[in-house]
Amino acid sequence: MGSTEVTSVPKKSSENNDIADAYGPNLKILPCNNQVKELQTILRDKNTTRSDFKFYADRLIRLVIEESLNQLPFSKCVVTTPTGAKYNGLKYQKGNCGVSIVRSGEAMEQGLRDCCRSIRIGKILVESDADTHEAKVVYAKFPDDISERKVLLMYPIMSTGNTVIKAIAVLKEHNVLEENIILSNLFCTPIAAKSLVTAFPQMKILTSEIHSIAPNHFGQKYFGTD
Amino acid sequence: MAAKMQHFDPPSSASSESDDAEVCLDEKEIFLADELCEDAEHYRRSDIGTPTPQSPRPPSTESVIWSTCVWQAGCTWFTEVESLCHLKKTVRISKSSQRSPRSRRQRTTSLSQSSKKTSAESILRSKTRTIYTAGRPPWYNSAGQQVEPFVIGICGGSASGKTTVATKIIESLDVPWVTLLSMDSFYKVLNEKQHEMAAHNEYNFDHPDAFDFELLKTTLQRLKEGRMVEVPIYNFVTHRRESRTKTMYGANVIIFEGILTFYNVDVLKMCDMKVFVDTDADVRLARRLRRDISQRGRDLEGVLKQYSTMVQPAFYYYIAPLMVHADIIVPRGGDNEVAIELIVQHVHTQLQLRGFKLREKLAHSYIGQPLPSSLYLLPDTPQIKGLHTFIRNKETYRDEFIFYSKRLIRLVIEYALSLLPFEEVTVETPQGVLYPGKRAATDKICGVSILRAGETMEQAVRDVCKDIRIGKILIQTNQQTGEPELYYLRLPKDIKDYKVILMDATVATGAAAIMAIRVLLDHDVAEENVLLVSLLMAESGVHSIAYAFPRVKIVTSALDPVINEKFYVLPGIGNFGDRYFGTEPSSIED
Repeated sequence: MGSTEVTSVPKKSSENNDIADAYGPNLKILPCNNQVKELQTILRDKNTTRSDFKFYADRLIRLVIEESLNQLPFSKCVVTTPTGAKYNGLKYQKGNCGVSIVRSGEAMEQGLRDCCRSIRIGKILVESDADTHEAKVVYAKFPDDISERKVLLMYPIMSTGNTVIKAIAVLKEHNVLEENIILSNLFCTPIAAKSLVTAFPQMKILTSEIHSIAPNHFGQKYFGTD
Repeated sequence: MAAKMQHFDPPSSASSESDDAEVCLDEKEIFLADELCEDAEHYRRSDIGTPTPQSPRPPSTESVIWSTCVWQAGCTWFTEVESLCHLKKTVRISKSSQRSPRSRRQRTTSLSQSSKKTSAESILRSKTRTIYTAGRPPWYNSAGQQVEPFVIGICGGSASGKTTVATKIIESLDVPWVTLLSMDSFYKVLNEKQHEMAAHNEYNFDHPDAFDFELLKTTLQRLKEGRMVEVPIYNFVTHRRESRTKTMYGANVIIFEGILTFYNVDVLKMCDMKVFVDTDADVRLARRLRRDISQRGRDLEGVLKQYSTMVQPAFYYYIAPLMVHADIIVPRGGDNEVAIELIVQHVHTQLQLRGFKLREKLAHSYIGQPLPSSLYLLPDTPQIKGLHTFIRNKETYRDEFIFYSKRLIRLVIEYALSLLPFEEVTVETPQGVLYPGKRAATDKICGVSILRAGETMEQAVRDVCKDIRIGKILIQTNQQTGEPELYYLRLPKDIKDYKVILMDATVATGAAAIMAIRVLLDHDVAEENVLLVSLLMAESGVHSIAYAFPRVKIVTSALDPVINEKFYVLPGIGNFGDRYFGTEPSSIED
């Protein structure tokens, strides 16, 4: 099967090595291809209309969520196909949940729902103080047994990482294990990536791009409140 | 058909059954012809520029006239036989030859040996499903390439038995697809005055000027190139072309028959084999008299006048001299078994030289070969494997099956899109910095789904490409021959300018996919602009497709090694369409 990954394999693997060197093994980047690059370009273009923005954001979110789900643990299993043959497949464990960070994290909920129909989704509202820029948790609601679950934490844009760090702290207060957290993210700055892997080395992070400029207009443009 | 007619018993109560069967059979063929005419609508923009004058359609529709005509022919057959046997023992009149050029008839047909044999059950009905078994079989070789058809030109005087000879050749040939083109389709449109003359038996239908040789030339040329053509349907009542045309395709063998087949030099050159049917003038006159008087209620005077002033002179001036061009002269027409056997043998030899081979045989010669470079397999992630586990498991309920298929389809489509051409762009961001990115190099992307399973992928394409145009192709496997057959086609206009995402949920032998790609290429889509996307493919299918069309990009989420004898992939998904749409045979469901 490896022989068929013809597209841009060399580039990707070297990129991945750089990422691993800089941020450790738990930060992963959505395999970049022209298609992903186009989505990122459209989202960053200031001339993109709002309807296009939402449409293409949803596509990128879907890809990021699908890739995040790849980080979940699985076990091997064998099933019988309608032809009577055996298929060596795998299955995922039960007991996952999503947590979105209000507001822009909620943009990713639909993507998760499209992949896992009846998944439980918790919410955290973190507001940053207008003066001190210090993040403050205002609201949090989780499934009761969140401490026993894998948590897919959703937040699309990270420029400093402060909001997410605060949210993770809340999760840990609810006895969620650090290694059970998977952070799904679209755009991340090197600073945020660095501070997150430093603060939570056990947590898995998935993003589509690490770039020094974060598209901070995401939430406003997605929800149309600019 | 002539052969079938010979099996008729003398008139008896029992024979009425076979009579019915015959009519029934012909109606089925009409059904098929109408189906293919459906295609005409979107083929209509083709560049052969068939003139279709705005003529009033005859009061009843084509097929009704046709079937009535057949039925009458069936009824009159018995009396015909009795008297003719007295006339000349060896002459057998076929049903086709009873219909003269002057009557409403449709000799231009596409016949398939396989579907002819089984056309009586061209629609199979079981308790739960209906299977149609008469589409268009493959018209290309195992490499997916057009093979130039063998053109047989048949020439001969009016009522000499050309159609009988043609039909007998088709029956003995045993090749998948034969196209029969009649010169009658190319009569010129008559003006008022000529129309008037025709009514008084004064218009000369046997003169070369009565035919539109230019249109005939283009049509035959395109057929010879394996292209689709619109053949005009000539209405012998109005002497105009009907507004609808008959869609015909190139075939393995094209038989072109008419009274002046060898008259035009260019047409003559296109014939690979030239046959002249030489039937005694007395016999031809007797046949004409019989059918014009007893079947069309014309008077003896009129028929004889037409014969002596036009038909006979035209034969001696124009038709008989054409005999020098013939490779084979067949005396006594369709009755001449030896001549027909010789023709058939020659055609077989020629076809073998042209390299018609069976595709199925080729499919098995790839085992152990490295996978082609045009195959793009989705990265093997746990999610994809997990999704496959769900949809391959026979215990999975339909709602889950649909849900997880959709997820997988979305991933396949997203991946497929990444293989389209992109170009570098730099955009301005709201943050005030420039961002070097990429944009798709074209927005001319369309989807084409291979019915039925391919349709399940349409929604995903719509979800990722706004306002995308979607075409459809229906291809079914003929249960008798195991060959795919083309039934239905709707493609976006100007599809040649588009990148085409061709969708089928599973690919086993690749037969349907090859046919669909061939259709796209016949519509002038560039091979490199086709992306075949699928959830699951068998290795042999991938090899066949890649061998036939090396520049088509093949995208799939999984590759299975084996195909079983029912052409299902192993371990496979089962019948994807049935599971998705919930049309499994009930034995599997419980």
